[in-house]
Amino acid sequence: MTRLPTDALRDIVGRLPTTRDENWKYTDLSRARDIASRWLDAGCEATTAEIADDIDRITGSIDATWFVVANGALQLPDRVSGLTAERLSAAPAADGALAELNAALLVDGLRIRIDGTPGKPVGLLFIDGTADASVTQAYVEVEFGANASGEVVEYHASVGTSDQYANTIVTIGVGDNAAARHLRVQDRARQHMQTGSTTVSLGRDARFASSSFDLGGGLVRNDLVIDIANPGAEVSFDGLYLAGEGQHIDNHTRVDHRVGPAISKQEYRGILNGKCRCVWNGKAVVHEAADGTDADQANHNLLLSEKAEIDAKPELEIYTDDVKCSHGTTVGQLDEASLFYLRTRGLDRQHAKQVLTHAFAAGLVSRIPVEAARGGVGTLVEARLADILGSDEDFT
Amino acid sequence: MLEIKNLKSRIGDSEILRGLSIEVNAGEVHAIMGPNGSGKSTLAQVIAGHQDYEVTAGTVTFKGEDLLELEPEERAREGIFLGFQYPVEIPGVNNAYLLKAALNAKRKHQGLGEIDAFEFLKLAKEKMATLGMDPKFLNRGVNEGFSGGEKKRNEILQMAVLEPELAILDETDSGLDIDALKAVAQGVNALRSPERAIVLVTHYQRLLDYIEPDFVHVLSQGKIVKSGDKTLALELEEKGYDWVKEAANG
Repeated sequence: MTRLPTDALRDIVGRLPTTRDENWKYTDLSRARDIASRWLDAGCEATTAEIADDIDRITGSIDATWFVVANGALQLPDRVSGLTAERLSAAPAADGALAELNAALLVDGLRIRIDGTPGKPVGLLFIDGTADASVTQAYVEVEFGANASGEVVEYHASVGTSDQYANTIVTIGVGDNAAARHLRVQDRARQHMQTGSTTVSLGRDARFASSSFDLGGGLVRNDLVIDIANPGAEVSFDGLYLAGEGQHIDNHTRVDHRVGPAISKQEYRGILNGKCRCVWNGKAVVHEAADGTDADQANHNLLLSEKAEIDAKPELEIYTDDVKCSHGTTVGQLDEASLFYLRTRGLDRQHAKQVLTHAFAAGLVSRIPVEAARGGVGTLVEARLADILGSDEDFT
Repeated sequence: MLEIKNLKSRIGDSEILRGLSIEVNAGEVHAIMGPNGSGKSTLAQVIAGHQDYEVTAGTVTFKGEDLLELEPEERAREGIFLGFQYPVEIPGVNNAYLLKAALNAKRKHQGLGEIDAFEFLKLAKEKMATLGMDPKFLNRGVNEGFSGGEKKRNEILQMAVLEPELAILDETDSGLDIDALKAVAQGVNALRSPERAIVLVTHYQRLLDYIEPDFVHVLSQGKIVKSGDKTLALELEEKGYDWVKEAANG
């Protein structure tokens, strides 16, 4: 790998977004800059931790064709069917310090093309584990050919107690009349950081359905950007973030409706307990030529602690008339009428609260578009919720 | 079993119950009738333990114990069941889970072990069959997307599974078609026994054609103004509530 001189790398790190940028108002990357600086000081070297067991556990939990990016290095599967895959030595040039950092430090990129209907989902496991401060990059392009129908699972994990910062870029192209089903699971170690972007572009009459689950991570920022430049697209995406003590999870979504007719629907839900902070910023831009757009966004949050904080912001920009747009945001506690109802049936207050909280999350688990992963993710969500709520009961 | 003396209760600044007294013994079926706003639902909610209703005077004892000291879930485990006028929809919690959790909470309180999955399913399906409910309702979210009649049947199903000592049914007959009304009545009648008591809170006499009460009380402005046997309900139907109000005032 040819790497930029350290001074040039330091320059990029110095230009990472700060809270002075409107788009990054609530998410402070100072710690990422600090980790990157220490890693650069150490000559971009870090002792690797034992991650083989975790790779086995995760790839064993979902039946998929797995591509594993471990500490930034790609391991291709022994064989693939229904798709083609190639290792990339470099990421294309892109704007912004996060993309520059990604391109400058990328070890292995990956390009996957799906035609027809592969039998199994494509699994992308991004896993990091080092004993010292470290920074890793990942870059993956997934292209669905015309009329293709398939599934992609992004799984972000990490192990270890060191400072770790991962920066991931995924782009998904959905061809004309193709159907892409996407799942993103982020279950990184509680002190690790991540910035990740997923950019999706859709062809004519293309369909994209996605579910995203943020369960772990210390500081996490996700950008989901969806570009509808062809008519007939149908897009739906959900997200669930579960934040406990000390976590910061920021989801920024942006949908550009450049032409109509097209449908986009999103629903994000959050459950926050303890001192933690989450951000949801959902932006939909309906451009001048996008008559016949139907855009809907919803964000619902359960704050179970007075120390939990959510910054929720729907943003609609509409530049044409013939559109149907709606948004709704709620922030609150559990519904008192439902709690009373359950208590009159003999469930104590704590039990009733747990039941309602699990139900709030279960709604999104049942909508996971990648069927092979629904059970596994459901189990993860249950476990993480029990952890956040301090209970080990099975509510299913 | 249930003894209420001079009960006064308010929600916010408005006093709703103004010195209500009633005694319900095991084996009895009471109907509490009255015009809208007379305090019927408030009485049901106070007995169940709703926190929004403040009790300002009077006593409520259940099996000799001070009921007002107990949390809603403790009242339920002691054997009180409230059939809601407007059952809450709880998406994501399935009916089977709630039924089983409710039954086990009660069993635990009674010092019994948890019911096993097979026994539970058998019990639930048996009760559903007698109420004319499709077993698929077990796997639906609690009352989620249920019609008015389905919600009321679901309340009666919960009651049938929990077998309470005291069932208070708040306007269970409102909005029911004749088939649902018969099914609900059948569920209630199946529960009648010398050990149990049932309190029907209703606006109309219609339900009492199917569930014959031992006592009928008329509630007006937060007090019971007249009590009698089942013929009182017929008299009310004929003469309207104004008659009772006038009789009480005169």
